Amino acid sequence: MSALTRTQRLSAQLGILIGPASLFLAVFFICPLAIMAIYSVLAPGTYGGVVWDFYPHNFGRILGFADPDFEIYDPVYFSIFLRSLKIALITVLLTLLVCYPAAFQVSRLPERWKAFGLFLITLPFFASLIVRLFIWVLILKKTGFINVALMDMGIIAAPLELIYTDGAIILGMVYIFIPFMFLPVYASVEKLDWSLVRASQDLGANGIQTFFRIILPLTLPGIVGGSIIVFIPALGNFIVPAVLGGAKVLMLGNLIEQQFLSARNWPFGSALAMLVMASVLLLLYLYIRFEARRGDEAPAIR
Amino acid sequence: MRESIIRLEGASKTFPLPEGGTVVALDRIDLEVSRNEFLTLLGPSGCGKTTLLHAISGFVQLDGGAIWLDGEDITDVPAHRRPVNTVFQNYALFPHMSVDRNVGYALDVSHVAKAERDRRVGAALAMVGLGGLEKRMPRQLSGGQQQRVALARAIVARPKLLLLDEPLSALDRNLRQAMQIELKNLQAELGITFIFVTHDQEEALTMSDRIAVLHKGVIQQIDTPRNVYDRPGNTFVATFIGASNLFEGTPRRADGKLSLVTAGGEVIHAVESCNKHPPDTGSVTAMLRPEQFSLGGSGDTRSEAFMDIIVEQTVFVGSNFEILGHTAAGRKVSAVVPASQVNRIAEVEDTKRARLNYDPASVHLIARQGPQA
Amino acid sequence: MRLLRNIGAFGLAAYTLLFFAFIYLPIALIVVYSFNADPVNMMRWSGFTIDWYKKILGFKAVVSETALYIESIDQLFRAVKNSLTVAAMTTTIATILGTATALAVYRFNFLGKKFYRVLMFTPLLMPDIVLGIALLIFFVSIGITPGITTIVIGQCTFLISYVFIVVSARLAGMDRTLENASAYLGAGEWTTFRRIVLPQVMPGVIGGALLAFIISMDDLVITYFISGVGSQTLPLFIFGMLRRGIKPEVNVIAVMMLTFSFAIASLGLYLRTRQR
Repeated sequence: MSALTRTQRLSAQLGILIGPASLFLAVFFICPLAIMAIYSVLAPGTYGGVVWDFYPHNFGRILGFADPDFEIYDPVYFSIFLRSLKIALITVLLTLLVCYPAAFQVSRLPERWKAFGLFLITLPFFASLIVRLFIWVLILKKTGFINVALMDMGIIAAPLELIYTDGAIILGMVYIFIPFMFLPVYASVEKLDWSLVRASQDLGANGIQTFFRIILPLTLPGIVGGSIIVFIPALGNFIVPAVLGGAKVLMLGNLIEQQFLSARNWPFGSALAMLVMASVLLLLYLYIRFEARRGDEAPAIR
Repeated sequence: MRESIIRLEGASKTFPLPEGGTVVALDRIDLEVSRNEFLTLLGPSGCGKTTLLHAISGFVQLDGGAIWLDGEDITDVPAHRRPVNTVFQNYALFPHMSVDRNVGYALDVSHVAKAERDRRVGAALAMVGLGGLEKRMPRQLSGGQQQRVALARAIVARPKLLLLDEPLSALDRNLRQAMQIELKNLQAELGITFIFVTHDQEEALTMSDRIAVLHKGVIQQIDTPRNVYDRPGNTFVATFIGASNLFEGTPRRADGKLSLVTAGGEVIHAVESCNKHPPDTGSVTAMLRPEQFSLGGSGDTRSEAFMDIIVEQTVFVGSNFEILGHTAAGRKVSAVVPASQVNRIAEVEDTKRARLNYDPASVHLIARQGPQA
Repeated sequence: MRLLRNIGAFGLAAYTLLFFAFIYLPIALIVVYSFNADPVNMMRWSGFTIDWYKKILGFKAVVSETALYIESIDQLFRAVKNSLTVAAMTTTIATILGTATALAVYRFNFLGKKFYRVLMFTPLLMPDIVLGIALLIFFVSIGITPGITTIVIGQCTFLISYVFIVVSARLAGMDRTLENASAYLGAGEWTTFRRIVLPQVMPGVIGGALLAFIISMDDLVITYFISGVGSQTLPLFIFGMLRRGIKPEVNVIAVMMLTFSFAIASLGLYLRTRQR
């Protein structure tokens, strides 16, 4: 070993440690994404393959600049995109509203209860997604828990249409994403310096003013972080709409899945996936700008 | 007697301890503070002074008793409605707001008109010497500057009462002394009552109109700095403020003179006067501060009140000498004599003995053990 | 006034209890109803039975045959076996690669280190459906048939990042002075690593491995796109059943999966708190 210099030895070590993972990600992560990006501008073959021609109309079908000879622009795709956006945003908002007060309360508990509370929140995260969704099918379906209970109690005569609605999807997503939102929000809330709240009250601000002027701005990082962590999987989700939305409610995720497994139009599916990617990247870019602006104020002078 | 601005009657507060049990933070406290007074709450940590401050500001709900502010019962009024403002120990400046928005906060939440609000913010900042720093953020300020912003923020709303919770404890010595003077001047200029909390007795003695010494949730004594120092009401105050030599003994009267005989056989001569009437029975404690001693020579018989001690150590502290020793009975005594008594000091250092003279009339007698009403 | 303040505090506490109830009551519900004896309607309670459990575990059950549709539980067992196989392989690969990368980033400074860190985060930020179809296109393009191997590869793309993050966090909290002391005392690099760094980072590695294992067992989306005919995993199995119609066995399987997940998570937490 002493034939190599120290630098060479260190470089070799670094190479051994980093090499395999880098190679793996390059081949199995970056490559596939690149190919998908390329596919999104290729033409679909007649029986499911691809034709290596530049074909912008995949995006055209979605966004409206289709070749009028070949495809008719169908606004349904864009409306599905908008509806997915809407559901994702409502999910983020509801999850936030549900988690925030609870995060507050847990952060004010004595040490041991705090740790236990956090454990209880993260535990469902380790249960399978499909199981957590399955629960709601059992509860919401026509012969499910709610309908059976209400009918047996004589409150309703015919079962309610609870499942296969937008509401059911949102409920399912909120239920699943609670751990994702709770932890970042909790981290922010816990760091809040309570003497600032006292100072605000001391200076005459009532509860509402203190909340909007002090508590909210100072817990904003957690709120934003949690929102992003929830929004990203919510937008492209297809499991929840498949299970709780049935065939009636179509979201972007379902559309993409269809293109790949039934309609066999991979280029179009790729284009849709690129749309999801673009939304996510845009969001992340805005987040980075937001973070930069926050930390951008002149550094501390000591 | 100036009129009182704030009055507490029977204020009590008990806190549960995390390991079980409770601690009494405030024990039926009665307190009256006059207008424009600079009152200091002084005591060791855990004595209740911060709790008392929080009770006045409204962060702590009393379990028993009542508080009146300017004649109005504010016991159940929440903190944000009390015309009382606080300067916090850690300043509690809002980190996401500029100096301007911090100082103007109280005015912003009461929706004061913009022109007036800006004017008052400017005036408050000028008063603490920070004019021109409106746009800075708290983390861009030094400790002393942050402290002044906290001050400006607290006075801009013209509260009836200003509470200061150990505001100078984070500052270094020189800055602290400068701020002490500034605070005093500010108080005079504003004409607001200040209630100041500290554990630093020097600070209390320097700044206050009156000092309230607290211990275990009870006001041990409340009086002017001079009186608290010269005539402590009980042994706690005597030992907490300044250094002291305490001699506990039974009083004896002979030939019209009063003396105290301790268990160890030491005799302290004192003088009875209209405010020093120890009872005939029971024990009384005599207090002699180290600076009340002077060195006597071996052949010096002028003074009849003296104490012979065996010297353990002499310490030079610049303008004085500290002499530490013990009596024949073994009781520790400390004396402080001016360095000008240099000859006597040399003798003391050689012989390891000292004769400490004192004036019986200046001996302070403490009859009670409990707090002075 | 005092009353109002207390009502506020009480309201918040009550809300938090409701919050936890919202999370756990549904779970409690399906656990309870997995013992429901009603052969027609799963959610109408008609008595207590463990027949469904017996059926799943392979024993004969005295229960109406029309209520079941798993003709044989072979398919279920195969799915479980597949899940475990995939999870074992994925956990091994992801833990090794993730830990190696974390160690490299911790120990060395190299060109593009910051960029590299960002790169390690990216798989986690990617919506899983995008990743799934990208991998599908990739495998088909280069001619690999979807199967256990493709699932393992697909899951590793983001599990490496998970392990990386957990181990990096553990490394960041480590005391470097011990390393320096060891070097100063003359220990070689490998010895220092083996005796000082490795024992300290082990809890992080184990934590990362457990995390990878659980996520692999639960993964649905990625597996959905790149699994083949014979490589159905447990989540896929359940997903398929859900689309066809719910029967009591699914409830039982779900409860068993929940128990398994909770047991592992509790184990993980217990280990973590013991390390302190």
